[in-house]
This record gives sequence, C-alpha cells and structure tokens, in this order.
Amino acid sequence: MTDTPTTNTPMLRSQDIDGALLEVDDLHVHFASRGKLFGTTPPPVKAVNGVSFSIAPEKTFGLVGESGSGKSTVARAILQLVDIQSGTIRLAGDDVTKVPPRDELDFRKNVQAVLQDPFSSLNQVHQTRTIVGDGITRHYGTKAGAARDERVGLLLDAVGLSCEFLDRYPYEMSGGQRQRISIARALAVEPRLIIADEATSALDVSIQSQVINVLRRIQDDSGVSFLFIAHDLEVVKHVSHDLGVMYLGYLVEKGDANAIYDAPTHPYTEMLIASIPMPDPVVQAARRELRQTFEDDAEPPSPANLPPGCPFENRCPVAMDICREVMPEPTPAHHGGDVRCHLHTSGPELAGESVVEFIKTKAQSKLSGSQRSNDKSSAQ
Amino acid sequence: MSESELEPTIEETPPPKADSPRQRFWKRMVRNPLALFSMVWFVILIVSWVWPELLATHDPFKQDVTLQRLFEGPSGDHWLGTDGLGRDHYSRVVFGAGFAFRSIFIAMTIAIGIGVPIGLFSGWRGGRIDRAIMWVNDVLFSLPIILLAMAVIIILTPSLTNAMIGVGIAMATRFVRLTRGVTLAEKEELYVDAARITGISVPRILARYIAPNLLPSLIVQAAIISGAIILIGATLSFLGIGASLDDPDWGVMLNRARPDFRREGIWQIMPSGGALVLTVLAFNLLGDAIRDAIGRDASSNALTITKRVSVAAASTSHAEGDDLVISVRDMDVEFPSAKGPVSEILNGVSFEVRAGETLGVVGESGSGKSMTMLSALGLTPAPGRMTRGSVNFLGEDVTNLTEKAWQSIRGKEVGVIFQEPIAVLNPAMKVGAQIMEPLRIHMGMSKAEARTRAVELLTEVRVPDPARRLDQYPHEFSGGMAQRVGIAMALACEPKLLIADEPSTALDVTVQGQILDLLAEIQTRRNMAIILITHDLGVIAEAADRVLVMYGGQVMETGSVEDVFFRPKHPYTKALLDTMPQNHSGDGELAVIAGIVPQPTAWPTGCRFAPRCVHATDSCTSTMPPLLTVNTDVVRCLRHGEEGFDLAQPASGTEVLS
Repeated sequence: MTDTPTTNTPMLRSQDIDGALLEVDDLHVHFASRGKLFGTTPPPVKAVNGVSFSIAPEKTFGLVGESGSGKSTVARAILQLVDIQSGTIRLAGDDVTKVPPRDELDFRKNVQAVLQDPFSSLNQVHQTRTIVGDGITRHYGTKAGAARDERVGLLLDAVGLSCEFLDRYPYEMSGGQRQRISIARALAVEPRLIIADEATSALDVSIQSQVINVLRRIQDDSGVSFLFIAHDLEVVKHVSHDLGVMYLGYLVEKGDANAIYDAPTHPYTEMLIASIPMPDPVVQAARRELRQTFEDDAEPPSPANLPPGCPFENRCPVAMDICREVMPEPTPAHHGGDVRCHLHTSGPELAGESVVEFIKTKAQSKLSGSQRSNDKSSAQ
Repeated sequence: MSESELEPTIEETPPPKADSPRQRFWKRMVRNPLALFSMVWFVILIVSWVWPELLATHDPFKQDVTLQRLFEGPSGDHWLGTDGLGRDHYSRVVFGAGFAFRSIFIAMTIAIGIGVPIGLFSGWRGGRIDRAIMWVNDVLFSLPIILLAMAVIIILTPSLTNAMIGVGIAMATRFVRLTRGVTLAEKEELYVDAARITGISVPRILARYIAPNLLPSLIVQAAIISGAIILIGATLSFLGIGASLDDPDWGVMLNRARPDFRREGIWQIMPSGGALVLTVLAFNLLGDAIRDAIGRDASSNALTITKRVSVAAASTSHAEGDDLVISVRDMDVEFPSAKGPVSEILNGVSFEVRAGETLGVVGESGSGKSMTMLSALGLTPAPGRMTRGSVNFLGEDVTNLTEKAWQSIRGKEVGVIFQEPIAVLNPAMKVGAQIMEPLRIHMGMSKAEARTRAVELLTEVRVPDPARRLDQYPHEFSGGMAQRVGIAMALACEPKLLIADEPSTALDVTVQGQILDLLAEIQTRRNMAIILITHDLGVIAEAADRVLVMYGGQVMETGSVEDVFFRPKHPYTKALLDTMPQNHSGDGELAVIAGIVPQPTAWPTGCRFAPRCVHATDSCTSTMPPLLTVNTDVVRCLRHGEEGFDLAQPASGTEVLS
C-alpha cells in the first residue's frame, strides 16, 4: 500500500467508491502436497486457477460450484486465511493481496464473514453477548458491559432475534438461530463486504429462507456487499446480482445471475441447472430427461493432476477434440460476462450465445443415431 | 395467501433457559456417591491444611517418652494411638495434610504455569517449531519423575520444596502434551477462523477462545496428577530426601514407623498410610467424576435397542393386498425424559408401502422422519419404546417380535442406505471385504462365490472396473462412488424393502441425479419397495410415487405425488412448497415458515403446527385435529373440508423449461 493508513484515517477513504468494491484479478492458489520421506514430492493441488471477478458496492456476487471446485478457497484467500500463488486482490482500489500485520485490523473491519457450519463456527464456551460483542470491543473499544450489550441487542434485532438471546450459549440455540448470531457477529464491526461461505447450506429449506431474507434486508439497510458462496445454484441465483460458476478451480462462466440461469453459455452450468430437482413432478420429469443427456458415470479429474485441456471435457456431452488439448480462454457472452468454452470460438461458434439448444439437438441426434443402430441389430 | 401473511414474526424468542452448564455439573457431582465421598474427604483435608489446630487434639511435635505412652493403640486420648516418640498419630496426620497440599501447590503451579503456555504455543505454531518442542518434551517425558526431582535436589539443597520443583518440571511435560493436542484440534475449528476474521489477536484467541475449551480436560488431568504428586512426595520423604525427619509429613511418618513395624505390629503404618491411600484414591475418583459430569450429554450416541415390551394394539386395521411390504398402524413411540414425564416422539403414525412403490417421507429436521423408520423396523433407540400400534411386514404381524427374530428379517429383507456413505464404510478394510462379509454370513457363500457376487453387485450399481475397485480402500472412492457401494451393500441380500435415509443430501447435485436414476433403475428391475426419507421436495417430486408429510412426530398428510404437489391438503405441506426458492418468482422476500420446529418435551397444545401456521384459528391452538381419511389418504387439519379453504398450487407446467 502506498499511503499507510493511521488509526484515524480508515483504509477506505470515502464512502463513495468509483467502480468495484472488491476486485480479484487472475487469482491462483496452490496447496503443496506433503512429500514422502523418500521419493519425489507430488505435484501441488491447484485449487484456484486464474479466477477474476469484481463486486460492486451494495451488490451480491454469487459463487457456485460443487465440492472441490475451489470456491471456498477463493473466500479464504480474500480473508487472508491461505497464502496465494499469484494474482491480486483489491478492496476499494487498495491492494489487499497480502495485508501487512499493522493494517490487518483495518482490513478486518471492512471484510467480515459468515461461515458454513452453524455448530463449529461459534465458540461453545461463550455467550451471545461475547460472541457478537468481542468484535465491537476490538474495533470500537467498547468494553463489555451494558453499553456493549445494548449495541449487541440492536444487532440481534436486525437478524430477527430477541434480546433474551444475549445470555444464551451456542448449544442452546437451533441451527438457524446460530447462523443468525454469526451474521450479527459479522455486522458488529460494520463491514463493507461480508463473505458468506455456504452460510445457509446446513439449514432446513424453511429456515434457509429466513436467513436469506435477513441477509437481503441487511443489504437494503446498510448497503453492504456480499460474496455469497454456495453449491445450490437455485439459492445463489436468488440472492445474487452477478454469478460466477466454478469447476475444478476455474471460473468457467460469470455474468448477470438471472441471464445465466435462463440461458447458460457453458455446458457445465447447464448440467448444474438440469441437476437441481424441481418441486413439481411434471417439470421435474422433463428436467430429468435433460439431465440424462450428460455423461453419467464419468468422474471429474483430480485437482492435483488436471488435464491440459478443459477439465469438464470427460463429462461434457458436446466435447470436441480441441477441448482435450487446450484450456479455453474467457470469451465475452450474452449475459455481459464471459465464458471459458471452445464452443463459442470454434466448432459451432456460438459466440457467447446460449448452449442449451445446441446440447438438446446434439443429444437428440445421438439418441436417434443409437436407436437406428439398435433397429439394425434387431433386424439382423 | 398474500405476501403479508407469510411475514416471519419479527423477533424470535428463545425457549426458557435450561440449567447452566455449571448447575448441571454440580447436580451430577452431588448425585455421584463416589464424587460425594471424595469431595467430603477434600473438605476435611482442606480444613486440616488451613486450620489444623481446629481438628488436631495434640501438638504434633510434643513428645511423651514415658514408656507406656510409646506405641500406644487407639484410645480416648489418642484416637489413632501414638508413635515411637509418644506423639499423637491423629494430630500428626491432620498436620500432614498441609505438607501434602503444599507439595501439590508448588508442583502444580510449575507444571501448569510452564506446560500450558508451551503447549498452546507449540500447538498453534505447528510445523517445525512444534516438532522441535515436542521432541524435547518427549525426552523429558520419558525420564523417571523421581530422577528429575533428585536432580533438582542435588543442584539446590534437599528439601520438599526443591523436590517438588523437580516434580513440577516433570509433570509440565504431561500438560504440554495435553494442551498441544487440544490446541491442534481446536485451531482447525471454524470459530477460530471466525475470531481471526473479526480481528482478534493471536494471544487473545489462545487465552479467551482456546484455553476455555481446554479447561475440562485440564481439570481432570490435574486431579489425577495431584494424586501422583502426593505419592511421589511421600516416596521422597520416605527415602529421607523430602520433608525433614521431624515433620508430620505422611511419608516421614511411614519412614519412622518402618523400623518399628515388625515389633509393634501393623498399626504403626495405618494412620499415615491410610491418609495417603484415601487421598490418592479421592483424587482419582474426583478426576473420573469431573470427567463424567462435564460431558454435555450423558447419554451415548450408540444405537442401543430398547428391550421389547408388549405394545397396545392399534385401533385401526391394516391395509390389505398381496403386494403389501410394510404396513404401520397408529404407532406411538415414547422417550422417558430427564425431567420426569415421558415425551412422546411419535404419535399415531400410520403408513404402508407396496412392492415396486416409492414412499417419500418429507418434513423438517426434528419432525420424526428417521425415528418412524427405525421404530417400524424394531430399532427404536433406547431408552425410547413403542407403546401403541402394530406393524405388518410381508403379511406377518411383527409388532411384538423379539430382537433376535427381527435381526434375521432385517438382515435378509430390508436394506438401508445412509446419508454419509463414507462414514458407513470401515476405513481400514478393503471395500470388497466389506461387501463380501454379509454375503458370507447371511447367505453362507464361499469366498469365491461372494467375490463373484460382489463384482455383480458393483456392476449393477455401475461402478466402473468393479474387480479392481474391490481391492481398494474407502478413501479411494469419491462420495458418489462410495454411495454406490453403500447401495450395493444394501442390495446384497435381495431385500424386499430399501430404506434410503437422505441418500443424496451429502452428495454434489450432479451426483445426486445419478444416484436417484440408479435407485429408480434397480427398483424397476427388482420390483422393490423403497422408503425415501428426505427434506428436499425436489427429490420427492422426482423419485416418489406416494408421499408422507411429517411434522412434530405426527403424520400431517399422505397422498400421491401429484396430490401433494398440486393439491396439498395440509397447510404445512403448502408452507414447505412455498419456501422452496424454485417456487419463488420475482425479487421479493422468500416465503418462510416462521418460528422453529417444537421440541418433543414441549409440544404445543392443539395442532402441533398451529403456532407456525398462517391459517390457524383459535380452535387450532386448543384442539388436536384428528387424522381424517380422505379417499385412500389421510390429513390432520381441523380446517380441511371447510368451504373456501383451498391450498391448491398453480397448475403445473407454468414454468417453461430452459
């Protein structure tokens, strides 16, 4: 950082930021594999490969992907919990790729998180007043006592809990209540960005909706930005303005959330959408058919041994020869973002348009082709 | 239903506060007779230490060398007799407590004062520094404690205090190990990440976040080590390198009694020896008692099955038909609760499943879905028991079957698939051996036959390259592949009924589809009945033929999958459908079900869903609705059939598929 902030001048100099609040550019995170005593060290696990995205003030960026896609590692890199290989992270224009210890408090005040597990993310030995209040003491110097409790009470109110929760321990609360305590803890320091890493995944759907509503209300009231990470595309789409889809460390598609959901440009995004079961037996029957056009039993490659080409190639119903050899670069897409898929530059050259119809046509011709060959064999 | 009706109650209030951990701890301690004994003994010792004059009857140093006063037995004047110098045994034992506690105090201050900070530091830093510290620690740990104490005495001067400094250093190694272990485990917990994200400094995280979690095991360890310290102190005094030879120390007293022991009989060693034994025993008992009392929940998680008692018969009769696999009528399951009255976990549960049919069981966590299936199969976890109802399995009444008879039925006719496939597999055993074991036990196959069959089973669940996969360990399987193995194991003995408890919840969404497809394919081939327990209505919509909606341990409604999704009869079903984000259009707030699932110890009066129901009336909160039969289905709602009370969903197909 060029101009060193002092305690009196916060790192974010103005409330009105031109452009993005958070910019992540070409982020790579590798984890070294543990070498054996004898023999060679295995290659590192490439958890995040060249991920770039930005979050505007007062907006939510949703990051979706399956386990092992690297979405939580992106969050941990921004939160300074893991070391990165290369790339830059900027917060309101300031480089926060690696925050020096003397600026850490300032950084923490601006970036908070709500973590996945409502059971282990709260310390069992502390009451709510301490869990939520510790951050207030740390950042604002308010000592434990009536004044701090009053502030914690207001935060509890914001997440829909009464003041009686002040003296409760985590194990005396339900999962949804604990997760709202986590949100209150994040809000306590009045951050500009909250990273919600699978914040609702462990909850019942009815409770998940309560927590999501709380998050959206908070954004309306305080203008905080969210990085919302989850494996459930349906939920992510609902809370996010922009959306990024990750597969094996690559951000394969990003852009406007609703536009991607309605007309994805990457076959993997389409596979994700087709895999979400719809609570409607008739609609679901059709979805199931679409889902079955994808290669069923293929396993994704190991992140320690990624192929040179596109990592989705072996599960992709419309893969081409080039996909096996070259990893596609981001291409602009109709939803205002970009997509990493060869279909848009070679072969059918979809040029950033929806991939759904193409997959359906392909699947149909494949199906009728195999039917013809079946007819032939039965005729003989 | 308008949007405003779905508004959550703005502020949620918690249930009344239960006992604090401290209250519960003391309750458990007082109820444990051994803990009570050790606590009473410590009160006596502590009084002896702080105010020995209160308990002592004589001056412990006052000698009385008149011949008849030496080696006296117990008498009215000398309760525990006298020693070779005519000193009062009882008073010397009382004063000895002070020596014992001073030893513990010195050694423990050093042990904890050095051991805990080093352990915290080492565990937090990890890596090379941790390895170096632990290497030094292990070397010290392996030295005999008395040797270390003697080394200190040699360097300084012989005294009990110096000996205890040595003991303290030796004992510090125990606390380094304990603290480091706890720190290593705790630092991986998300709450530590959360504290770092809040900006809490590392020393403060260690002191305020990790150390309190260390406290329970530290107290237990300290109690047991205290017993050891007293023994070591007494040993050193006995050898003449601890307390000085006139002091009323228990070890010294034993030493002084030793030469007279053969001549004067065993009594001479009894007072000091007894005090020593009782004190060490009390420390160990206290350590055990604290460990037991600290546990957050005294009951174990292991699945133990309640002893069978005869069950009151059901009031309604079973459904009929040759294809009926399982039929349950009016099942009640009760659990005795700690606070006195029994709590009813399940109430009047009825359902049936036919061959080739999939029954989807849906409801929020805590609604009784899994308990229903366990109880129907005679697996009610202890201390719960089925108190009413009847169960028919493959045409036979199995309500009052013995556990042994159940075992043979379950092993052959029922297969179960669990949520966490990896957790079910033994990590130390090859997958093939785990599939083959039940085949060899239940079907009496030879090793070769079982292997052939295992390959067939893995082929059936579409695990690629099955012969090679048999020789792999579970960690070599992805979640989806492990669940296929779980299914293969459940299918091994050709069951008529497959119970799938959240089979796809822990899996990635693209893998979930594969597992559901596989189950459907196997069901068609084998004409098997499937009970699919899930909280995901999307999974129900895809895979179920009929649906059982549960809430608060009761059946809320049953119906065909079309009925339940398009014409729900119960407001709870309707509310569940509304909360699905897939059913939400527009940008407004998501529909929620306000409040939380009630606890079995505090069911609301009237309809159990009434407090969260937007349609509830006054009678709903006072009268328990009966289970109404509607055609072949049931519903438990007072307002069902009321004119204008319509919960129907918008017609299907309104959403155009992408």
